[in-house]
Formats: sequence, C-alpha cells, structure tokens
Amino acid sequence: MENAATHEDWKVCFSEIGPGLVLFARQWARSRADAEDIVQDAFVRFWRKQHPIGNRALLFATVRSIGIDLLRRNSRRARREVEASLDGETTSEPVFQFEDEGQRTLARAIDELPAEQREVVVMKIWNELTFQEIGSVLGISHNTAASRYRYALTSLKRHLQPQ
Amino acid sequence: MNDFRDIESELQKLRPAPLRPEFAARLEQAHQRESAVPTSAGVLPATRSRRMNWLSLGLGVSLAGAAGFLLLMRVDEPAKPLPEPARLALATPGNAIQSSPVREAQFLPAGMTQVVYRTHNEGLRFPEGNARPVRMMRYETRETMRWQNPATGASLRVSYPSDETVFIPVTGH
Repeated sequence: MENAATHEDWKVCFSEIGPGLVLFARQWARSRADAEDIVQDAFVRFWRKQHPIGNRALLFATVRSIGIDLLRRNSRRARREVEASLDGETTSEPVFQFEDEGQRTLARAIDELPAEQREVVVMKIWNELTFQEIGSVLGISHNTAASRYRYALTSLKRHLQPQ
Repeated sequence: MNDFRDIESELQKLRPAPLRPEFAARLEQAHQRESAVPTSAGVLPATRSRRMNWLSLGLGVSLAGAAGFLLLMRVDEPAKPLPEPARLALATPGNAIQSSPVREAQFLPAGMTQVVYRTHNEGLRFPEGNARPVRMMRYETRETMRWQNPATGASLRVSYPSDETVFIPVTGH
C-alpha cells in the first residue's frame, strides 16, 4: 500500500486532528503527558504500517487499542491511584479551553458519562467522525454508535437543565 | 437529532486544549525518524520469522560442521595423514564401526537449548483483508547446540541469537 502523504501533509494532520486525538486518548490516560504518549505511539504504528493518512477510523482504533493496553498494564497502579484519589482532592489538568463556568459544568457532565457513551461523543463532536467510522473504531454497528450518542446527549441535556 | 441541536451547539463551543508546541515538535521528529528508517513491522507474514529461525538453525549447523572440520585438521596435523573421506566422517550409525582414529574424530550431538530471554508485546496489528486484529508478539531467544567427542572428551558449542515474531489472532471484545 502506497502512503503518498508528505511530511507537510502530516504536519497539517497533527494540527487538525491532534487536539481531538489527545482528548480521545485522555479517556485511558491519567495525565495529558500519558495521552500524548499514546497518540505518538499510535502515529508511529500507523506510519510503520504505511496506512493512508485519510484512514481516520483506523487511527482512532489504534489510539484506543494502545490506550486500553496501557490501562490494563497499569490497572493495579491505577486502582491504587483511584483509591488514593477518593481519599483526597483530585488534581487534573483541564482538557478543554473554558470560557465560562457553564462550560466547566458541561465538561464535568461529560466526565460523568459512562465510558462507552463518552468515547462516542468525543469522536463525534470534537473529531467529526461519522457513525459509520465510530462503529468501525469500536467494532459495533453504526446504529449502536448513534444510540450511544443519543443516550449521551439526553443525559447531558438532563444534567444541564435548571433544577 | 433535532432535539439535540442546542446541546450539540453547546458542546461544539467547548474546544479541546490545543497541542502543546513541544508535543507537536516531538510528533514531527518522530515522523522524520520513521520516514528516514524503512521499516517492515507489521508487514511481515506470520511465517517469515519461522523461516528466519530455520535459516539460523541451518547456519548454526553449517558453522558447527566447519568448526569441527577445522578442529579435526588441527588435531590430526602431526599424525600421519588419513584418507580424506574417513577424516570428514560425521556421527552416523554407519560410522560406528570405523577404525580407531576415525572414531576419535567423531563429534556426537550432546544437546540443544533454546532460551527465551525477552518477550515483546508489540500490540495490535490490523492486517489488510483481515476482519480481526492480531497481536504481534516478538520473542528474542538464544539457541545453543553442543557436540561432544566421547573418545577425547572435546566438546563443541555453537550459540546464536534468533528473533521470532508470532501473530496471534485476537478474539472477543
């Protein structure tokens, strides 16, 4: 398979989809630095296999696979960290650029979504993948991807409605 | 999805944090590195490593043969030259009834070990045309073959590294 993308093409690719990919990788990483490592690892694997630059679904699937591997490898450590974080105050770096308090509330609501819904929302909203592509990344049908998205939005809407 | 237009619009206003310049630079460097070094990871067919392994084995046996030959030449140097075919004889059942000088030159296989000293989980690969991903496992091993001459007690050992790559189909999820 010929990979005709030049270095400049990849630079454009990093700047366009990099932030969304790091956001996607954050779901399995404890820090932004870990998420960046996942994304870099995914790109390296992608280049070595000479996949075409336009195959976004495969790139996301690679990020997800590396992220899950990392999570499993570190599961024991992660459990300890989670237990420790329950005892004390958690400190996490912001994954979004906030303009007001409403956006912070929305970001917190996204964090509280079930993982399977959150990953669909991240791919759909901030990475503009189609349900077909999302289904391909997750190994589910596009209908299932769409329902998870609807459930997520319903939950977010409910969360943001004034009590 | 019309019911969700408002919430979608709110979500889209939320922008992910931009890439840190140092990370963008790291990605660029990684790409330049990868472009400069042609790699074949993930492109190798599953059977290739096996073939490489057999090649290593063949190479090892040839080396052992050559080393044995050189050893025989040195041992026999001061003695009266023997007929070439007898000197080159290797350990086979037919050679067991040969004359004494020839038996002394026999090296019999004494053992072989294969030690896996490192295992690498290279992660998932997505081969073209395959519906399922495969996990790439790489094993670094060292194989050692020994021959011994029962008459003189001399031994010969050949050791060589080998690298085996195995693709394991992933099921489930």
